[in-house]
Amino acid sequence: MVKEATEPTNVNPFVPYPATLKDVTDLTPDVKLFTVVLDRAEDEFDYKPGQFAFVSAFGVGEAPFGLTSVAHRKEGLQFAIRRVGTVTNTLHQLEPGTKLGVRGPFGNFFPLDDYKGKNIFIVGGGIGFAPLRPVVNTLLDRRKDYGNILILNAARSPQDLCFRSECDDWGKAPNTKVELTVDAGDENWKGRVALAPDVVEELKPSPDNAISIICGPPIMIRFTLQRLKKLGFGDEQIVTTLEGKMKCGLGKCFRCNVGEIYVCRDGPVFTFEQISQFIEQF
Amino acid sequence: MEADFTSQIREKARELLEKGTVECVIGYETGSDGVSARPSFIYNPSEVERLVFDNTCSHNLVKYLLDKKGKPTAIVVKGCDSRALNLLLSEKQLQRDQIFIIGVVCPGVVEWGWNRRSEQFQKRCDLCRQHTPLVYDLLIGTPVTEEPPPEFTDIAEMSARATEERASFWREQAERCLRCYACRQACPGCYCIDCFVEQLDPEWVGIRIATGENLMWNTIRAFHLAGRCIACNECERVCPVNLPLSLLNRKLEEEMLELFDYRAGMSEDATAPLITFIKEEKLGIGE
Amino acid sequence: MTKVLGKKELESWLNSIMQERILVAPKRVDDLVLFTPVHSVDEIAFDFQNTTLSPKELFFPRTETLFTIVHKDGEIEFTPVTVDRETVLFGIRPCDARGIAILDGPYLSDPPDSLWAQHRDKTTLIGLACAKPAPQCFCTSMGSSPTDTSNVDILLTEVDDGYAVEIVTEKGEKLLQGAELKESDVKPSVPQCDASVPAEGIVDAVKRAFEDPYWSRLADRCIHCNICAYVCPTCYCFDIRDYKAGGKIERIRTWESCQSKGFSRIAGGYDPRANKGSRLRQRFCHKLLYFPEQFGPLGCVGCGRCVTACPVNIDIREIISDIQERGAQVGQRSN
Repeated sequence: MVKEATEPTNVNPFVPYPATLKDVTDLTPDVKLFTVVLDRAEDEFDYKPGQFAFVSAFGVGEAPFGLTSVAHRKEGLQFAIRRVGTVTNTLHQLEPGTKLGVRGPFGNFFPLDDYKGKNIFIVGGGIGFAPLRPVVNTLLDRRKDYGNILILNAARSPQDLCFRSECDDWGKAPNTKVELTVDAGDENWKGRVALAPDVVEELKPSPDNAISIICGPPIMIRFTLQRLKKLGFGDEQIVTTLEGKMKCGLGKCFRCNVGEIYVCRDGPVFTFEQISQFIEQF
Repeated sequence: MEADFTSQIREKARELLEKGTVECVIGYETGSDGVSARPSFIYNPSEVERLVFDNTCSHNLVKYLLDKKGKPTAIVVKGCDSRALNLLLSEKQLQRDQIFIIGVVCPGVVEWGWNRRSEQFQKRCDLCRQHTPLVYDLLIGTPVTEEPPPEFTDIAEMSARATEERASFWREQAERCLRCYACRQACPGCYCIDCFVEQLDPEWVGIRIATGENLMWNTIRAFHLAGRCIACNECERVCPVNLPLSLLNRKLEEEMLELFDYRAGMSEDATAPLITFIKEEKLGIGE
Repeated sequence: MTKVLGKKELESWLNSIMQERILVAPKRVDDLVLFTPVHSVDEIAFDFQNTTLSPKELFFPRTETLFTIVHKDGEIEFTPVTVDRETVLFGIRPCDARGIAILDGPYLSDPPDSLWAQHRDKTTLIGLACAKPAPQCFCTSMGSSPTDTSNVDILLTEVDDGYAVEIVTEKGEKLLQGAELKESDVKPSVPQCDASVPAEGIVDAVKRAFEDPYWSRLADRCIHCNICAYVCPTCYCFDIRDYKAGGKIERIRTWESCQSKGFSRIAGGYDPRANKGSRLRQRFCHKLLYFPEQFGPLGCVGCGRCVTACPVNIDIREIISDIQERGAQVGQRSN
């Protein structure tokens, strides 16, 4: 019944790596892109698209964020962070050079190796595009390993579109198309004004040999899921990343659980086939 | 007496549910110990036999009405509980026409716990000034003439102690506090959507469960209830480490009586002094 | 033959322990019995059924600094907290010792929680067998017993002229060196505890009754006061935040409860367990379904504290029985 007590250790899993904020860029009025560099070379870690890490603002606390950079580009750790709570409010006020803490990487990742040879349909809504950006960048860096890539980046308004300038570059890759849509346009917006699920229906991606990766607010996910299923996508072909309130990231504190599943340890990436098996509804 | 009260409550509950006047009757039933009462939620006329009323029915059920907003509900209230109803009605948290009030003239409730029931009245019942409910649709029992005893003798004793002695008394008490917030959860006057203690920006009270922060928590909570506490003493009843919270609340009750001649929850259209602004009122600041 | 420690010998043994280590023992504080560091045997309460709060606090303090954060010459330094003092916990009941052993599951699984591991390593448990289990106790139903030696270093059982001593671990043996034990043919009595709570098979029953309206009806009564979690020897939910004082920053872990509003609310406001029923179900499903699925044992040791402390009589024994019944009904319907 009782696990063998491991040798007591002073390695406290809650102690973060010391890090420095290198760059802060505005992505939208309430989202900033933070580039963070670990202070000690020996702390550097490899990570994969979909994984997350805790960022500490000392004096306030820490919160988990999806890693939105790709490890192999070695551009530092990037996090797209929306200002919604105490930690994020503090982070938004920081200047480059500020000392931070980073704990990670945690969780599973999008199994992009398993998707080789497949067509990929990516749907991101608002800040939900943050964990999808490393997916796109990984796919494009290994462009010839994948089939057609269709990307839908959606937001409430044109100014809320994350990574809008990068979208132009992504669209220049071979057999890669990027679609933008907003719920409501403005005087400068010449693009599409439609809800993401309706655009999915309009784009009619084929489910044959395809994987759809979606992330966004719960309501967008719910309706996008319905449309994808109508188009013939099976639950096992639709992948998302869940958000849960977390304190440890270590599969201990049991706060992020959905039924017996720990979002931090067993996820955050799940197929809808897996999600439909959860005992508790998310 | 008890059997008679019980049967009258059951009878009314059955009638209200059968007619569809209410969706739910909130009353008391016998708990898992077979000795003491616990809150009961009756939705079906066939369940009304579960309802009881006895001298362990000390829970103030009024707080549950906040979970039943928009749903016609009947509730059993004692005299003290009826003040909580008035408080929430006057603060526009409840709609009178959604509530059927089964008032019980309360003979007092005894000291009890799980599997334990004494014959001794609770201290607050010895001090009671409100055996008869102030507001009701049906009254069970015969209204009594209130003969309230002097109510603040223990507060006077506490006030007479040296400041340092009082401070160390409260520090000792606060050291025990677990910050579980059971006092708040049980309190009919504590219904803020975001309690100050859980607000992070600004962070009014630090995260530590330690004497200083605990004192801060209990003091601010008491202040938020000044002129609003209706003395049901649920906070003290539920506290898992038996903090004497009524000493704080009743001290402030005494102050409110002295300063404003005001007692909370006495009427459903009362104007509470500390949440009322009168332009002409002198604030005593910069005058 | 039984090893026995006479009452006088026990006293001098505890006195010698106090010289070198922190002795934590049950003590009467007003009308509560709390585990408290004691400096004299007179302070120790021997005639108690169980303590008001569980001894989990020695291993999982209500507030604990995880590490301190110091800005120095433009760099940042973290100083992890270490546990140095040896502690002896005297008077722990077998149910509570089981509670601590059960929490080794989450806390020592990889990566181990270093503070928990250090508290465990530095603490010796002297158990005190229950002579008279209380009416709310049901440890036997949960796989333990009033005289269970499994999770303590030493178990003492009261006999006529002192305490029968069972040495369980090397740690216990070491602590007893120098104690004056005598041999006796006294046989400690074996008290019975309520074995009637139907815990067997509860994991499957909870799974079947997961969607039962039972939970929301039960939650009608719950006031989400968090008391159950705070008195429970196996509840281990926590919050982590920073605490600033005097130019120093500490990262602090404190007790929290899954019953508190907003416990699972994510940034932006979405709360997957916004309603009372799903919040209450979370607590019982954690104890009776998720925890055993992950770690083996049920997350309840039958100490009965929540039974007596709950201000609205939400009684886990009653819930276990009800869920067995409802789970069986669901089982029949689906067969």
